[in-house]
Amino acid sequence: MKAAEDQSQFKKAVQEARQFKKKKWTPSQKKEALWGLLFVSPFIIGFFGFMFLPMLFSFVGSFTNYNITSRMDFIGLTNFRRMFTQDELFTTSLYNTAYYVAFNVPLTAIGSVFLAVLLNRKIRGIRVFRTIFYLPAVLSGVAVYVLWMQLLSPSSGLINTILSWVGISGPSWLFDPQWTKPALILMRLWSVGGAMLLYLATLQNVPKQLYESAEVDGAGFSRQFFHITLPMITPIIFYDVVTSTIGAFQIFQEAYVMTEGGTGGPANSLLFYNLHMWNQAFVAYNMGYAMAMSMILFIIVLSLTFVNLKLAPRWVHY
Amino acid sequence: MKTIKVRTLLKAGTWCAAVSLILAACGNGETETGDNTTTDGESDTQGQVELEFWSFWGSGPRRDTIEEIIEEFNDTHDTITVEYVYQPWGDIWTKALAAIAGGNAPDVIVQDINSVRQRADANQATNLQSFIDEEDISDSFYPQLWETVIFEDEAYAVPFNTDTQVLFYNIDAFEEAGLDPDSPPQTWEELEEVARTLDQGSENDWEQIGFYPRWNIGPDVWALNADGGTSWFDEEGNVTIHTPEKVDALEWLLDWQDYYGRETVTQYEAEFGSGVADPFISGLVAMRGQNINYYTNLRENAPEDFRFNVAPLPEREEGSGNWSWGGGFVLEIPENTSHPEESYEFIRHLTSTEVQEQFGMNSFDIMANVEANENLAEHAELDETGHMIYEMAHQNLEQTVITPVPLHAPDYHSLINTQIDAAFLGEKTAEEALEDAQNSVENLVEQNQ
Repeated sequence: MKAAEDQSQFKKAVQEARQFKKKKWTPSQKKEALWGLLFVSPFIIGFFGFMFLPMLFSFVGSFTNYNITSRMDFIGLTNFRRMFTQDELFTTSLYNTAYYVAFNVPLTAIGSVFLAVLLNRKIRGIRVFRTIFYLPAVLSGVAVYVLWMQLLSPSSGLINTILSWVGISGPSWLFDPQWTKPALILMRLWSVGGAMLLYLATLQNVPKQLYESAEVDGAGFSRQFFHITLPMITPIIFYDVVTSTIGAFQIFQEAYVMTEGGTGGPANSLLFYNLHMWNQAFVAYNMGYAMAMSMILFIIVLSLTFVNLKLAPRWVHY
Repeated sequence: MKTIKVRTLLKAGTWCAAVSLILAACGNGETETGDNTTTDGESDTQGQVELEFWSFWGSGPRRDTIEEIIEEFNDTHDTITVEYVYQPWGDIWTKALAAIAGGNAPDVIVQDINSVRQRADANQATNLQSFIDEEDISDSFYPQLWETVIFEDEAYAVPFNTDTQVLFYNIDAFEEAGLDPDSPPQTWEELEEVARTLDQGSENDWEQIGFYPRWNIGPDVWALNADGGTSWFDEEGNVTIHTPEKVDALEWLLDWQDYYGRETVTQYEAEFGSGVADPFISGLVAMRGQNINYYTNLRENAPEDFRFNVAPLPEREEGSGNWSWGGGFVLEIPENTSHPEESYEFIRHLTSTEVQEQFGMNSFDIMANVEANENLAEHAELDETGHMIYEMAHQNLEQTVITPVPLHAPDYHSLINTQIDAAFLGEKTAEEALEDAQNSVENLVEQNQ
């Protein structure tokens, strides 16, 4: 019964599409379409020139031994075979990246929601607090990483000094392979301000009546949070999780700066996927191999995003 | 109605953001083509040639000197004008690669001495052999430096400067401890004895640490020092990581770590500052293995009355040789540039004894030109310490090994380092670590063959 219904709907859609195709465009419609295309052309040209073509080139290059300057011979699936069967560092770098993504994404999401809820109160000077918490998101790059390297210094760094006040002897952070990734994840938490701003804006759009009626019914703060606030902001959480997952897979700069030129840190514990790829491309000139790596990363990220989108209807309330 | 719209918009937005982020990730490698704003040397009607010269000397004596040298060159050469372009250290070689691939490379560039063969193999550098055939200049340079520029029996670069690792020691600390500052430790055993005599303090609270071998000297250098100057690869390109001598060296390094304690070492290391906070200048460390060019740091930051001396790295045992390690830079003409002849003339100028002397005198770099270093060791304008530095460097270069990257294992470093780190973390013995490293690197060589 349901299948038949689906089928008829599908037929209808196909018919509509055919009609749309056949439909003659009036001159004014044509003109409008042309103008429309003209206005989006900078994006289209940019997209094709700087994204689509390079991607296509990467795809083709991943089946070659391309070394940027002198050779580009078709070698079939050799790059991929090497990646999965021979390259020890490929596995290491994939593990490091997955570890980072697994902790970074949920922690930053929770952190920024938490911060947004705190900063959504009507108290004196709230604007100042908001600015303060947003500020780190503006600062970024090498200077911040160098600052964090000092904060994370084992014996005189601020973090271990504070830990020592409560009787904890802090770890060696960036010198101990067990602690390098946690250190980096901790560092990334400092820039939750960007996502916080997004959540803050959404929080302010949650209708007040919902809270009022919940209050009348006797719901406390935590019930209000879990039954009103959280469901109402799920679309933004979803957006944030998808984009930050993609962003987290691309981690490069931090590791490059903090391991002195991309060496991968103690015991290769900070050798992330992109760092390994970069080393292959620009240190070993194995550009073809690096392209193959980028294709694998593309597939990983694409499938994760797809899973995310498929799972979304179960928990995202629009 | 409104909710549907918001929903569609959000969904579309999420998709768009996701796709463009993924695309951006994959596009990165391709779009990074560097700043190719400068045009390659153009010749005008009078046959005037403009050359573009890239280096990473951005400030201090090196920049001042190179600008001075270029000005003099331009003044004395009617038909050639060299333009100096500074590129930051972190960018220069990636930029150069992009420029070479894009067909608008600079005319002359300062490159890493260890990867000349790789670039020659990948057609990134111009073959200079025809110039060398006209006038053989190879004898002007230290042989191991010249060796690095040869690929398939032909030259692709000319060595410019180098460095060598030596032992710096604090004379006052020696005297205080009752040691003779004129007889620095000769062997590893003596080094240990002297270090223990210089140690002041105990666990976690050292006022003075005699010596710690890993501070500024890598395990790779101690390994080649122990193994008669053979690095991780021998001359034929065989992997020589797992040798008894190297296992010995790693065990010796592990003993040092056990003596001071891993935590202590890490803590002190993390505190090491530069400038006046430098541990050798502040007196925390009494002996320190370093590139000899570290002297510039001492000149700049140490107090007037700071007394130090330099000695070759101690040998593993008597007769095994005071093998040391060095790096350096070369001058290269990228492939497909328009004026290789003029460019070579400029390179020839920069590597001539006179100019090398001039560069060394101001920067205290150890030059690739043998005669220049010899002259600097007794140059009237340098003081006694300056003479001593050049004298020492010249001597030490006889036992200094340069370790060019093998063509079949361009990225072997991380493989070895993981294993060595594992040994220092106590996860593996020296024997196991080096055996595993040997296998990993052999596997890498196989992949690339």
